[in-house]
Formats: sequence, C-alpha cells, structure tokens
Amino acid sequence: MSPANDTRPVRVALPRGDLRMPVAERLRAANFIVEGYGEGSRSYRFDVNDRPGVQVRVFSDNDIPIQVAMGQFDFGIASRMWIDELLVRFPNDSIVPLRRLDIEGETLVAAAAPGSTLAGLASSGVMRVATEYPNIAQHYLTRLRVPDYRLYEVWAQAEAWPPEDAELAICSASAARREGLSILDEVHRGGVWLIANRAALASRDLSAALAPLVSLPGSNDWGGVVEPSPLAGVQRALPRPVVERETFRIAVPDGHAQRHTVTALAEAGITFEGYAEGEAVRHPVSSDPEVIVKVMRPQDMPRAVALGHFDLAMTGRDWLRAFTASFPSAPVVELCDLKRSKYRMGAVITEDLAVESIEEAVAFWRKDDPDRPIRVASEYASLADEYARSRHLRQYRVIPISGASEGFVPEDAEILIEGTETGSTLRANRLRMIDVIMESTNCAIGAATRPPGRRGELRDRFVERLTAAAEAVE
Amino acid sequence: MTTESLPTMETTMPDPATPNRGLRSNGMRDLGPGDMARFRQIEARFLESAAAAGYREIRTPTIEPLHLYTAAGTLSPQALDRVYSFLDWDGWSGERVVLRPDATVAVARWYGEQGGAGEQRVSYVQPVYRFAPDGDREVWQCGVELFGAGASSADAELLLLARDTLAAIGIEGVSCDIAHAGLVRLAFAAAGLSSTEQLEAYDRVLEGDASVTADLAATHPQGAAALRLLSEVDGTSVGYVANLRAAMLPVIPAAASALDELEGAARALEAAGVSFRVRAGTARSFEYYSGLTFRFTAAGRECISGGRYDGLAETIGGSAAPGCGWAANLLGLAELLS
Repeated sequence: MSPANDTRPVRVALPRGDLRMPVAERLRAANFIVEGYGEGSRSYRFDVNDRPGVQVRVFSDNDIPIQVAMGQFDFGIASRMWIDELLVRFPNDSIVPLRRLDIEGETLVAAAAPGSTLAGLASSGVMRVATEYPNIAQHYLTRLRVPDYRLYEVWAQAEAWPPEDAELAICSASAARREGLSILDEVHRGGVWLIANRAALASRDLSAALAPLVSLPGSNDWGGVVEPSPLAGVQRALPRPVVERETFRIAVPDGHAQRHTVTALAEAGITFEGYAEGEAVRHPVSSDPEVIVKVMRPQDMPRAVALGHFDLAMTGRDWLRAFTASFPSAPVVELCDLKRSKYRMGAVITEDLAVESIEEAVAFWRKDDPDRPIRVASEYASLADEYARSRHLRQYRVIPISGASEGFVPEDAEILIEGTETGSTLRANRLRMIDVIMESTNCAIGAATRPPGRRGELRDRFVERLTAAAEAVE
Repeated sequence: MTTESLPTMETTMPDPATPNRGLRSNGMRDLGPGDMARFRQIEARFLESAAAAGYREIRTPTIEPLHLYTAAGTLSPQALDRVYSFLDWDGWSGERVVLRPDATVAVARWYGEQGGAGEQRVSYVQPVYRFAPDGDREVWQCGVELFGAGASSADAELLLLARDTLAAIGIEGVSCDIAHAGLVRLAFAAAGLSSTEQLEAYDRVLEGDASVTADLAATHPQGAAALRLLSEVDGTSVGYVANLRAAMLPVIPAAASALDELEGAARALEAAGVSFRVRAGTARSFEYYSGLTFRFTAAGRECISGGRYDGLAETIGGSAAPGCGWAANLLGLAELLS
C-alpha cells in the first residue's frame, strides 16, 4: 500500500491498572481525549475525541511493548521496565522509545535476606534468583559476572521467595521493602514511556496522534537498565547441598483462588491463622508446629513443588498442566482434585465466524494466503503452544499476554486460549469457545515421590482429609 | 596429504539475507550437493593436516549448560547477549542451556572431564550458534586445540599448523597478525584501568580509535611511549619486538615473559617466511585470551584466528592447564576459494 493510499487508523495502546488514571489525566491535558478510559470503562476499545483516524486499545502494562514491536499498534504508553524486558533480549526489535513521561515508575532491585551481600551469595553456591523479569535479570547477572545462577521465572511476588526458596529476588523496591528484604543493588530505574513502532514511524503519517502524544509533559531522567560493576574475585561455586527438611511445608494461594481454597480447607477441618477469606499474611500459622505455611501465587506452585520447596500446594489443574506442558518430566503430580473453581479451558474465536471446527476456522483465515501465520494469544503460553502444535496449525505465533484477554480476538489474534466458567464474559465480547482443551478445578499437588518419614505421613493425612471433603462436595 | 587445488564451487552459497517464505529461519543456510562436495573436501584437507600434526578429531554436544559460558574469563557479556539460550524440557530448576556458541569452551570442558592432565591435541569440525542481525547464525568451524603445553613450545606449533592447513586447502597469499593479550592487559593495568575499563579500551584500540592512547598517556605519562608504540605502530619484524621490549620493560617490568612469547611467535613466522604484523590486538574475545593471539588473512579476509587461553580450563571448573588453539569458518574458506 502506498503511503498516500494508506487509510489504516493510527492505533494507540494504553495501559490499564494503576497507570490508567495518571495517563488519562495527562492525555486530557494534551487534548487527546479518550472518553471512558480514565473512568475505568470495561470496554477495551475507544475512539479519540475529534481525531477520527485514531483508535485506542487498552492492555495490561506488560503486554504493550510486544504489541508495538509486532506492529499491531503504532504507539504505546508503558512502564520502562516492561519495555526493557523486551529490548534487552531482542535489541533489534522495532520499538523506538520517544519520550519519558512525568509519571513515576518503580525501581527494580536485587534484594535478599538482611545481612546478605552479592559477593557472599554468589560465592557460597549456585545463586537461585526469583524474578518476574527474566531478561532484565539475566542481563544484570551476566554483567555482574555471577559464575553460576538459576533463574526462577515467577508469575508474581518474586520477593516472597528469599531466603528459604531463593537467595535473591529481582523485584520492585517497594515490594522488597514490604517483604522485609535488604536491597543490595539497583537493577533498573523505571519510569513511564511513550514508545512507537519504528517501521510505522518511518513509513506512515501518524501525526494525528504523534503531535499530541509528544506534547505530554516529560522528564529528562533517562532511566533504564543499570549496568552493575562486576563482582571481583568470585569463583565458580558448587550447587548448594540438598538438606532433607524436617518440617512439612504447604503453599496456599492468594488472589482469585484464595476463596475456594479457604473453603476447601475449612471443609476438611483445616485452618491456618492469618489465612481466611479476605485475609492472607505471607506466613499463616498452623496449630501443628511441624507444618509451615506460605502464601504465594498459584501459578508458581508447580515449579516450587518440583524444586522440592513444598510438600503440598493448593493450585489449579490449569497451572499444573501449563507447567508440565513446558517441563514434562518435572517431578510434580496432582494428589487430589478439590472439585472447586470449575471452568473450561479452550480455544476461543470470534462469534462472527460461522464455522464448526478449528480446522474450518483456519481454512477461512488462510483462504487468501495459505502461509498466513495464525496468532494464538494466551496467559497460558505453554498451553497455547501445545494446542497449536497438536492442531497442526503449521505457521503460528504465540502471543503471551497477561490480562485484558477478551479484547484480543479478532483484531489482534485469531485464537485465544482462555478459561470460562459460564461463558457469559465470552458472549459479552462476541466470542465463543470452539475447542475444549481441559476441564479445570482446583487441586492439591505434591512431589512425584512421596516424602520420607514424618513428612510423608503428614502428606497422606492432609490428602485423605482434603479428598474426603472434596467427595462430599459432589 | 594431497596438495592439488580444489575444484571451484558447483553452486553459489545462498545469501542468508535472501527473502524466503518463512520456511527457512533467518541466518540459516542450506548447503546443496555442490556446496557439500566442497565442504567435505575442505573438511578432509583440514582433518588430514591436523592429523599429520598429531591432532585427533573429537565432537562435543550441540547443547551445553549456559553456566559453562557465564563466568568471567569465558564469554564477554556482549557475546552472551547473542547466544541462543533456553530452558530445556527438564529446565524447571531454572538451569538454562545454550546452543554451543563457542567451540573452545566446550572442548576445554571435555579436556577437564578426561582428567585435565598431560598434553592433548584435538581437532573438531562443528557449528557454533550466535545471533547476527544480518549474517550467518550457524557458523561451521574447523579448529584445533592444544592443552597442557606452554607458550614456548606450543604457540609456534599452532602458527605453523595454521599456515600448513591453509596451504593444504589451497589458500594463497596468506599473512598473519599477531598480538599478546597479556601484554595489553599489563599495559592497561599499569595505566590504572580496571578490568571493565580494560575491555572498553581494548575494543577502542581494535576499532582504530587513536584517542585511547592519548587518554591513557595522560594518566600514565611515564608509559606513554610504550603505549604509543604498542597501539599506534604495527611491527613487521622481530626488530619491532626488541623496540617494544626497550620501551616497555623500564616502566612495566612484569611484561618480560609476554615479550618473550611475542618474540618467539615473530621468530617462528619470520623463519617460515610468513609475512606478519605485530599489533596491539587481533581478537575480540579479550577476556578469554591470556597470551599470544593471531589472525591469518588472505585477500583481505580472515581465514583463521586463535590464541592462548591459559586460565580457561580452570575457570570452567577443571584443573589449571595451559591451552591454545585456532579455528576457521569452514564456509568462509570455501567462499575465499571460489
């Protein structure tokens, strides 16, 4: 398409969540008025007042850089840490950071138990590092010249891992302080940035959006990745010895899964002080001194169990399946189905497509171009990949996303791998599930091999009680 | 060993930048029957040449643990940014693996696992994988490594084997650049540079940035003449090394053994009738090399590069052992012949 005939809209990706209000205020002041955005409308797509060729779509903050890099959006406003999480790994990507806005962002830090030092941790054994930012973390550790490390790429709450489940967390400074960790180093200085797609800037007239966006109030502080000084004289360390635990460790979830878990535990006659509906401290207390409880994200539990950190964890079968899709030989298994939090997980397409199967849908999408890649968006990237392989989609791209998922199909992905309880949210967004991958419920998971001694006995006892309570549900 | 010249290429090597329909990954080549015939001929000449000098062929795995390459003294952070690393199917513990980005580190790992003692002469023909925005991302290397032998005997052996191998393949008009990483390190350290600053300064020297010498001379005026001689004058005879010795030893006495090694290499090349230059640096992987480094060129293109890496075996967890080696891009040699 020649530039003169290019009638495509200028597409702008804006963040939801905590950034929504400050970004909306500044856009309004710059006469870039997106009605409903700042007010928290549930809609994903917006027009812009008096700018007919400009469209806005709302995403999770961390999904915006990849959308701009892929060229699906011309501009985006996102946290610098998510921009750099992409750019440190893919420096040739097509993002141009245009302007830092005057909105404060988080600083990422290396944090550990009080009294730790980086040199001490690196030389005392293979360093285990938990983070939500694996690319920034790898960049940092490589330049720090840590001889050997293991990166635990966690879904959230990396700060919850040290000291017992990792030596170091690379997480936000505020989260590290809340958790009582010591900040050992700065890893990334944040901020919120206006970014653009390089090819679009080079070839299309984007001025209808560019003019107001570059007039947003800015900051001269560049920020970005901090280059650490290499650790001096740190020798390669041996893996840390595996010490057989005396205590029985249980992981329980917070967030959406908490309510169902509290109920399942209560019906099995199990309560932990500090863990109830609407209440979760990091370390709830069991009346049995042999039992140690920790609250963490259910997405991260299969890994934590596979690593041997917990004897029992309450998560979802969806997260267990997503983990084993990536690591099929991981020594973690389902111990009992808790039969709550039921939903179907499957392939979702637009309701407007009159097809009976995914094969028919693929044939429709490829009717004009047999090599067209099929875009599969999902929070469960490994399951999306497994699905695309098993359905022989041939050329496909998995787009990992972290929320606002119903807004992706049909414009920004052909298929969404998503869960639904009743289907009402899908229907409200003119979507439907065409292929069911699994029926998910919450479950208790544990190591593939029963722990020895007292820990094994305690595991049997917990599983027996949870199973009996779950059977009563039916 | 046969020395008759190889036939010309039957087909042209594909341009990796050639647009494809998404069926071939970027930076990856196909080798057709004609290319493979040429590949095998060069490979055979290389292996014959290496075997005649006592180098036995080995092969290391395509996938290695990432941590083999992350310690200081292996790959630089910039090189690590270009490796293909990923979590294996059993990588839940967070241990990443990597498509072999460098053959020497893998061979050093193998040497350590054999006990890491005594002299070992080995050769290999295998690909290395590194991201390159526009060029090849899979590079077939043929190379040799010699473990357990110090500079005085082994450096000259490696240089002459490189010359003989290029001759056996049929590459003519060869010249050689030599340098000494230890010497440069001593000069930079004497000027007060930290290890990180040394890497930056070395890259500037390689890029021909003359201002680096001026900057260093300002902070270390007594060593200015030696620094200028090292970084701004390319030597063409053993006499240059004598000049370097006269300028450096009064201010950097510890440079004596490095200068001996450099002189030994220059004498070996001079005696073999190979045209050479003595330079401040020849190899990008500065962290990795400890002693002599060298680079053979023909028709303005690099044919073979290598050097001494005495700390490598220990850095990756083996016993301390001296080591040195060189490698060539096999398809690069094929293109040079055609």
